[in-house]
Amino acid sequence: MSERKEMEAAIEAVLFVATDPVPRARMLELFGSRDQKKAEEALDAVLDRYQASEERGLMAEVVAGGIRIITRPELHGYLRKFFEVSGRSRLSMASLETLAIIAYRQPITGPEIQELRGVGSAGVVRTLLERRLIRISGRKKVVGKPFLYRTTREFLMHFGLESMEDLPPLEEFEEVFGIVDTNLAETEVEAPTVDASVP
Amino acid sequence: MSSAIESESSLPESWQVDLPMFEGPLDLLLHLVRVNEVEITEIPVTVICDQFQEYLHLMEELNLDIAAEYIYEAALLIFLKSRMLLPRQSEESDESGDDPREDLVQRLLEYRKMKDAAQSLAEIHTLRQGVWTRPHQKLPEIESDETIDFGEVSLFDLLGAFKQVVVRYEHEHPPPWHIKRDFFSVRGQFERLLERLAPKRPLDLVEDLRDRSCRAEAVAAFLAVLELARLRLVRVHRTDKGDLLLYRTPREIQQHELEAIQG
Repeated sequence: MSERKEMEAAIEAVLFVATDPVPRARMLELFGSRDQKKAEEALDAVLDRYQASEERGLMAEVVAGGIRIITRPELHGYLRKFFEVSGRSRLSMASLETLAIIAYRQPITGPEIQELRGVGSAGVVRTLLERRLIRISGRKKVVGKPFLYRTTREFLMHFGLESMEDLPPLEEFEEVFGIVDTNLAETEVEAPTVDASVP
Repeated sequence: MSSAIESESSLPESWQVDLPMFEGPLDLLLHLVRVNEVEITEIPVTVICDQFQEYLHLMEELNLDIAAEYIYEAALLIFLKSRMLLPRQSEESDESGDDPREDLVQRLLEYRKMKDAAQSLAEIHTLRQGVWTRPHQKLPEIESDETIDFGEVSLFDLLGAFKQVVVRYEHEHPPPWHIKRDFFSVRGQFERLLERLAPKRPLDLVEDLRDRSCRAEAVAAFLAVLELARLRLVRVHRTDKGDLLLYRTPREIQQHELEAIQG
């Protein structure tokens, strides 16, 4: 039993020191092959302990294929005050549109992005490259051999995604937005009953 | 942006327009579709085309630069409008997907998808701004091949280590070279020559001067030869070949003469 406690402590210590997300398998390598089952339990226990909760400043998140400890987003204000950070890193709507296009249609070339957005996007692409949210993954074998762009690991970390599969599917957006509309209509109809049930 | 318009335009206040910012012509088209409460697939080209033009005129009146992309889309809309006005060649083409709008509709649908995705990314981005992590730092470098066992370190190990440090320090910080200025005295050369001059054996002056280590020593040696000659301790012969030979005279040097020779 004490062994299991030590495993938890060791996992916590590694998570504290690591600055990059630690892949689960890599973490389990810390322990012998016979202890793997116990190690898995220990890791889950640590993850459980580091769930976001009101009384704690830290939480664990599974991001970019690994686990890391982050601060709870709600505490942003305090951290900004303490570390005297005034500016906010903003992403313009143009950047976000371009990023969304690259994320969902990667690998994609500059001209293709422009076609999709209807406006020139070279400047925005450069900004995204500088912020390391996208990278050049090669050249497309067409006339002019334009660069192909892909999102980076940095992108996953920034948006808190475990992998690209975590990106909400595009169809879902349509559904979600469709559902929102119908829901609104329904709630309007059902409003009286909802009111009655709420004390 | 509105403040810029206020200051630059001479329009009366009631004319102030709250212009939404558009990311491009497709964004504007989506806006028009929304305002007209129509489906993208059922886009009324004539209406939208006119409204699009109106918007461009408005931009012109406000002295806003109209990007080429807007003009391209405007031209495309006019083209579509003209196509729509032309009578269809046959009734069937209506359903066989020959709709001239189809291309535009597809682009708008795709663009709306991406815009929705961007909107959702924007929300995530705002939330994730609050996430802080540990900054990247250099981990202490521990050499893996040397295990540190504090229990086995003796005083001698420490002394040995210290000695190594000193040796390495001295190796890396060698003592500076002291460059001394060579100093040759006439008297030194005088004594040297006097010693070398064996009775009855001539000394080749030029050869001797050539053997001096440097110019200064040669000068001192030459001055010494002059002194030797002045005190009649040597005689200088010039051979037929032009060599200068020094012969020691039998005269003995007096102590006071030697002391009189300046350094």
